[in-house]
This record gives sequence, C-alpha cells and structure tokens, in this order.
Amino acid sequence: MISDLPTSDGTRVPSAAPSDTAGHRSDQDGQERMASVMPTPATRVAIIGAGRGGTALLDLLHQLRTIEVVGITDRDPAAPGLQRARELHVPTYERLADLISNHRVNLVMDLTGDPGMDRILREQTSGETDILSGPASRLLWDLVRHESALQAELLHSEKLAGIGSFAAGIAHDMNNPLQLILGLAENLLDECDIETVHDQARDIVEAVKRTTAICRDLTSYSRRASSQQNSLIAINGKLDEALKIARYAVALQDIDIRKSYQPDIAVKGNPDELLHVFVNLITNAVQAMDHGGTLTLETTEVQGATRVRVSDTGCGISADLIDRIFEPFFTTKPPGKGTGLGLYNIKNVIHHMHGTIEVESHIGRGSTFAITFPREAPTEDRSRPS
Amino acid sequence: MDEFKSGFFVGGESCNGRVLIVDDEPDIRKVVRLTLHKAGYDVLEAENGAKAIDTINSGENRLLLDVIICDIRMPKVNGIEAIAYFRKNYPRVPLIVLTGFPDTDMATSLLRQGVVDYLVKPVEGDKLKASVARAMEQRELAHL
Repeated sequence: MISDLPTSDGTRVPSAAPSDTAGHRSDQDGQERMASVMPTPATRVAIIGAGRGGTALLDLLHQLRTIEVVGITDRDPAAPGLQRARELHVPTYERLADLISNHRVNLVMDLTGDPGMDRILREQTSGETDILSGPASRLLWDLVRHESALQAELLHSEKLAGIGSFAAGIAHDMNNPLQLILGLAENLLDECDIETVHDQARDIVEAVKRTTAICRDLTSYSRRASSQQNSLIAINGKLDEALKIARYAVALQDIDIRKSYQPDIAVKGNPDELLHVFVNLITNAVQAMDHGGTLTLETTEVQGATRVRVSDTGCGISADLIDRIFEPFFTTKPPGKGTGLGLYNIKNVIHHMHGTIEVESHIGRGSTFAITFPREAPTEDRSRPS
Repeated sequence: MDEFKSGFFVGGESCNGRVLIVDDEPDIRKVVRLTLHKAGYDVLEAENGAKAIDTINSGENRLLLDVIICDIRMPKVNGIEAIAYFRKNYPRVPLIVLTGFPDTDMATSLLRQGVVDYLVKPVEGDKLKASVARAMEQRELAHL
C-alpha cells in the first residue's frame, strides 16, 4: 500500500492487489470496507504442491477476489511456489496438517500428482472440505495454463489495437522528415554551391536516420512480448522509452513533461510487458489533459520497494467510475476509441510482477497512478515454524 | 487604403508575394522557405498558431501578407484554431493547409471553409509553388 498519497478530498482506489484478501480492501486509516463487486464470502483454498502447477495456480487464484488462498505447502522447501507465496504474502507451511487443519479450509487443491495424496487428504480433512486431486487437478492445471496463454494473447491484442491509434503520430513523424528530404533533394538538383550541397546532403542523411528510428521503435514495440519474465529492467530508461512510443498515440506538444527519477533503480519482470504498461499509463494521462497540462513521471526507492508514479493534471476520474476502471472492457472513451482492456491488462502485468497499482483522482485536478514493486529479497515468512 | 500589395519590392528585389509558413517543425519551415524563396516569394515563419496570429497582426503584415501555409498538428494554438481565426479576421488572405496526416473529413471541412488547397507532406516543390500561385490568383481576385 502506498502511504504517501493524500486521501483527504480525492478518490483513491487500489486495484485488486495481492495484499487484498477475501474481497476486502483496507483503507489507509485502517478501516476496512467491502469491495462492491464481492457480494459473498471468499472461498478459502489450500494449495498442496508448489511446483510449476501450484505456482501457476497460486498466481491465478491470488488475483481473484472470490478466493482466499490460506496457504501452500510442499515437501520440497525449495519448491518455486513457496518462494512465490512469500512474495505474495501467502502463508507457507512445512507440514500439510498445519495448513489444512487450522484454517476452516473450504477447498484443498492437490497438484502434487501423488496418487496416494487423495487418501491422506481425506483422512485429514472434515466432510465440509472439498478435495480436488488426481485427474481433476490435472484438468485444473491444463485450465490454468490455458488461462495464462489467453492473458498473454489478450495483452498482445490490446497492444495491437492501441497501435492503430498511432497512425496520426506516425504519419506526422514520418512525413515531416520526408518533406525535408524531398525539398532538399529537389534543391540539390540545381544547387551549385558545394558547401550548401554538403550541408543539405548531411541534413538528408540525418532525416533518413530519424525516419529509420521511428520504424525500429514501432516494430520493436509491436512484437509479441518476450517470455523473459525475470529480466532486470532499468525503470527510468523504460519510462523514457514509453514516452517516445506514447507520442505516436497522443500529441505531447501542449504537455509540460516533468521527470523526477531516482537514478539506478531496477525491478525484475518482463521488459516488453512493462513497456506496454508505461505506454498505456502515459497515453491515458495525456488523453485526460485535453487542453494541455503537466505530465509527471516519478521513480523512487523506499525501503527496498520501487515506486513509479504517473500523474496528470487532467479531468480526473469521478468517484462512481473509479472503482470500475480496472475491470475488463470498461471504458469511458467513445466507441472505437478504446478497448477497455488497457488498465485491466496493466493490473495483470503488475500483479504478475508481484506489484500493486493504485489510483488517486480529483475531478478537475487530475489523477495519479502509483505502482509499487516489492523488494527483491523475500519477506520473512511468519507462518513457517522457526 | 489598397490592401493588396503583391509585386512589391523587398530589399531592392522584385517579390512575387509574402507568404507565412506556420509549422512547429523547423525543418519544414526551412524547406518551404527554400522552395518559395527560390520562386521569388518573401517567406515569414511562425512555429505555432499563436505566433502566426502575432505575426499577421504585427506591423505591415496585416496589409502585406498574401498567403498563409498552415500545418494542423501544432502546440499552443493548433492549425484548426488558427485557420478559424484567419478566416474570421483576414478573410481575403488565402490559406493552404500543409499537413503530415491526411484526413479526408478534415480536408473536406477545411476546403468548405474556404481553404485553397489541402496538401499532404511530402509535397513536391512544383506542386507547392503551383498551389501558392493559385492562392495568389485568388488573392488578386479578391481585390477586383
């Protein structure tokens, strides 16, 4: 939770962040309120097996407000899902019994693939706890993988849809240097002064380089996100790169751009997906400032957590809409102008990086989207017996 | 006072007319100036709509400016706003749009508003000069 965002007169909403549990949201003053989209109590789920299947399931279930993952366990203390659980602040257990006997678990999901596990689980659970194991858990694993592939596809589709809006910016940035090249080349046809010929030939070469750079940036951006999920990403450079791409989608001429970067900070994640997140946030911010304004990009590192804030001085988001902005297919843009998937995908990417995203908005004064990435080192596991 | 001053003398040289190029890109202003200057025009530059309005309202320009060539996508006062201002306050000064982004609806709308030509970058020098020459004819007709 970001603590330095004022809440006095603005509307402030976190996305369904990993720290949320059971569909509740914790306000800054400690008061809890129910999220309006969560009418029923969360299903309490225990995950048995923290290999690839358990890890993927944890990632997926953790994003659902209707599910509370009460813990995960594995015989292998080095299982990847245990590490992921610590990053997400989900309790990990060394002993199966400690997990399933103490938490009024509604559902046990067994992803161990161990044929004997079903019998063990039935012995240790009451009749009120459902158990999902064997072929059913294999089916579940297939569904989780399918869901993961769909999310990647959705992200790419939304990115390509966004590139459609780049047409005006690309045309502007391509046709201006082309005009210079054409005009100078025509002049060179009958230019006799050798110094002028050299100067203008040099200008043509530079204009061609600028045009080439536009093509390079765009082809790089439009490619499918690489599968590298754990690259070390220099945040400041990625924000600058996003600004360069965003200017094709939105005109920045009337925007005062302020940067406040803490040097040399990095996070782990997928660089292509993070670039897409930043492009979307910057584009949204500029679109909110119809008649110009200030776009502020800030990066800070506080107690090991990396924070990125994208702020605008635009129209702001009204209180009745702000709760819905991270929902899929929700958009306030006219038909054909927005997919409604931008902020939904942003939320998914950030959560996949184990971060959180929050928004604070004031009507007529602007909005701030604040992303917090956790420290790299795992936090201390409170539930693991010492 | 006769508003039309085409064919006047600038610095002792014969001048076909005075043209204002409004574009936020210095490269575009440079190349338009180069092309039109060789064709005998006196060329003024403005980097956005606000500067263009200042230019046309300053000194002798309100009388001597013959043609305005205007981009659309610009900071401060954009091309659409600037063109609306020129049409309202200087209806006899012909306007040419020179834009990097072809937009049929916008072109139709601007031509209906009386813009002489809607050119899309990159435009060849001969085409630009022909367009300016047509605008100059319109400028002369406006004074008959």
